[in-house]
Amino acid sequence: MDIKALKEAHSLLAEYSYEPAKLDKGYTDKTLYINIGENKISTKTVTPEIKEKFIGGKGIGLKYLWDATKPSTKWNDPENEIIIAGGPLCGITQYPGAGKSLVVTISPMTDIPIDSNVGGYFGPYLKFSGWDALEVQGKAEKDVIIFIDGNKGIVKIEEAPLEAVDGHVVSEQLTEMYAESEEDKKNISVISAGTAANHVNIGLLNFSFYDIRRQVTRLKQAGRGGIGKVFRDKKIKAIVIRFKGTKGDLNKPADQSLINKAGITLHKQIHDLDDVQCRMRQIGTANIIEVMDKYDLLPVHNYQYGKHSDTFKIASDVFIEKFITQGMPDGCWFGCSLSCAKAADKFELLTGPYKGDLVTVDGPEYENAAGLGSNCGVFDPQMVLEANFYCDTYGVDTISFGTACAFAMECYERGIINKDITGGLELNFGNGIAQLELLHQMSRGEGFGVLVGQGVKVMKEVFVKEYGADADFLRDIGMEQKGLEVSEYLPKESLAQQGGYGLTNKGPQHDEAWLIFMDMVNNQIPTFEDKAEALHYFPMFRTWFGLMGLCKLPWNDTMPADNHLTDEPAKIPQHVQHYVSLYNGVTGMNIDKHELIRQSERVYNFQRVFNIRRGKGLRLHDAMPYRAMGPVTIEEYESRQDRYDQQLRELLDYNPEGKTTEEKIKVMRDYRYDQYEKLTDAVYKRRGWNTNGVPTIEHLKEIGIDLPEVVEVVKQHL
Amino acid sequence: MIKVNSRDFEWQEGMTVQRLLELKEYTYVKIFVKINGAIIEKEDYATTMIQDGDDVKVIHLLAGG
Amino acid sequence: MKVLVKKEALCIGCGLCEEICSKAYFKENNVDKSCIQVAKGEANEINVCNQCGACIDICQVVALSRGSNGVVRVNKKECVGCFMCVGFCPTLSMRQHDDYIEPFKCIACGLCAKECPTGAIAVEDIDFETKERL
Repeated sequence: MDIKALKEAHSLLAEYSYEPAKLDKGYTDKTLYINIGENKISTKTVTPEIKEKFIGGKGIGLKYLWDATKPSTKWNDPENEIIIAGGPLCGITQYPGAGKSLVVTISPMTDIPIDSNVGGYFGPYLKFSGWDALEVQGKAEKDVIIFIDGNKGIVKIEEAPLEAVDGHVVSEQLTEMYAESEEDKKNISVISAGTAANHVNIGLLNFSFYDIRRQVTRLKQAGRGGIGKVFRDKKIKAIVIRFKGTKGDLNKPADQSLINKAGITLHKQIHDLDDVQCRMRQIGTANIIEVMDKYDLLPVHNYQYGKHSDTFKIASDVFIEKFITQGMPDGCWFGCSLSCAKAADKFELLTGPYKGDLVTVDGPEYENAAGLGSNCGVFDPQMVLEANFYCDTYGVDTISFGTACAFAMECYERGIINKDITGGLELNFGNGIAQLELLHQMSRGEGFGVLVGQGVKVMKEVFVKEYGADADFLRDIGMEQKGLEVSEYLPKESLAQQGGYGLTNKGPQHDEAWLIFMDMVNNQIPTFEDKAEALHYFPMFRTWFGLMGLCKLPWNDTMPADNHLTDEPAKIPQHVQHYVSLYNGVTGMNIDKHELIRQSERVYNFQRVFNIRRGKGLRLHDAMPYRAMGPVTIEEYESRQDRYDQQLRELLDYNPEGKTTEEKIKVMRDYRYDQYEKLTDAVYKRRGWNTNGVPTIEHLKEIGIDLPEVVEVVKQHL
Repeated sequence: MIKVNSRDFEWQEGMTVQRLLELKEYTYVKIFVKINGAIIEKEDYATTMIQDGDDVKVIHLLAGG
Repeated sequence: MKVLVKKEALCIGCGLCEEICSKAYFKENNVDKSCIQVAKGEANEINVCNQCGACIDICQVVALSRGSNGVVRVNKKECVGCFMCVGFCPTLSMRQHDDYIEPFKCIACGLCAKECPTGAIAVEDIDFETKERL
């Protein structure tokens, strides 16, 4: 399409000039507020208190969201905001994984705050343009584009009727439109959603970066929690930023030397060891597909099973050999030597509106291969990549879609839904074409796909209400909690990971804790107290990445050669020290690894209280579907009969001889529920919460987040 | 009988570290092995014998996902 | 292509090359700011870029390239100071100093070779095949 024609159709709704604030020690101390309903643009100041309590990233996002909304605010009310913030470390180039943005909003899926961590150049460019955060409120009447020129100091809201909505198209169009030359394209980053996000709850945001070598606009996703749906409901087509002049010291760190040292040490380590460790530079997170299968952890057929005889067809080497371009610098921000943002180039699409096009597919990440692939029984790499592409460009979260599609497929296979209900789609496990058709339907806003795209929670309600499904059974097999779909690991045999999924703030994702090996394989955390300690430390440690604008992968997808000789190998102590150095190097503060955890605890507890303020965030909301905890069906039990029978004998002193599978399932279920309750008790205690999951005032005081408005909420529950 | 990660496991005559890893299907790359508290280096897996009664730890390093 | 070749057996570890290099490019006598560096001892080990170009492909912003004379150069204007090339250099010859936000490296200018008292270093113009053999 003619870019000039697209641009000429724009009409200016508001314009705001500003003097870009100078960065100092990781902060600009200014945030940008844009109300697209009132076409109002203004500047806010970040106070020292906000920085102390909320740091940045999702911390500042949650703080702003709290202030902007009422307890009753719904996701589609104008006052709901989308806040995008890096964090004090965002934008440094010497340490891998330092270009992340954190996006916060009230989720259409969970009705509580969601936060999503995303790569691409937007976060760093936002900061270099003078803003610690961008806050968007209100709803536009017609599709708009927000443009920020960080060099000229201009913010514009423009009506933009003609551009595409699909992520890969609109990102190309706007990169072309706002770049002043071919060389300038790398200075542009575009946030977009996609056509499916117009219609379905599981909508995501794409954050772009321009790939100089491939000469294409690449996309990274803020996937979880339906932020794309909020974005499109606000009638935002895109947010574009331009910043020219990236250098390695724009954060104006207090001590560049500390950062350089940590960064070069890690680069060298990745250079020396990645090929024999995770092969992140070859295949990214997809390196673990076959590993998860081997350890019985790969979700298969809606989490019924943990392995499949066809997994070899979608193993990492298949993607390396047949699809993924090798030897490219695939960082989603400058300086990421882990380079996991892999891509299949010149990939020919076989279905949908872009059929026949040769495209660059960003992926597959592990979650995509497992969610779109094994969980739905699709063991065809071509199909997985095509679904991956369409999810991205349509603005659909691959994790939620994978899990939702797997749920719909199981319901279809069990006769809970049929062809009349699916509009003729044969949703058997393994039907990749049907899976793609669901996506195309979401994009068009028609058919059964739209229902799938509302997520498992809504599907359960509809199947029960409209089609007479058994509510208890659907509650058991529907892998969602708090309204969010479980990500792609089978937690059935790891109690700690059931807690890792269940006892989270935003819903069951693996952003907080992944403890399966520590627990199930290594047996390092046998007692409830051990598990509770891990479910305190790791969620707090990993929350920290979201405060800083960092990626978690360079923390543990590479490790020093002598890591196993350290006192706590699971924590990777040398990397923790790097993070302490980075923070001190940028901000000039002097924290240690304990204060690092404390910084997270404040925000983590604030988020918990935010949930409580909205009528959620209590013990009852932390319960998990039984599919996540143990065998629901006879087939599941019998697929692991030896293991389960042995557990009945050893753990429960129950003799399985002569018992029916149903009887054994019942006994096992009672036991596992009880274990989960005991775990919950232990974790709440360790986190400083009461038995209902409410942070105590003493605890809030101790960690320094006893703000009056926080205490006020908590008081009503103590 | 030996212990593998504090759980009982059947010992076999002539069992090397490598053989144990094969039996347990421990194929993950980022692991380290200790026998009675002493680290066994990767290059020695094939030649290091496990004795009956040994306490073996095979620690998988992945806390990520 | 031009490359600084070394005959370590001849090196006496006098450090003159380091002084000349750092003075030429950074106006001070500081071995940490020299592109050529000699680990002095019984056997003097000369560490300097051999123009292999492994760094070129890993640079995200294409700030490293091979010039017409075959020498690999850092384009400071394009460089974003990530120092990935420093960690990824197969011979650890890409230099970095905290006073600067871009890395630096030997460009086979020959200033040091001219003054080397023993002929331990010399700039040679060799073809790619010879280079591969070396």
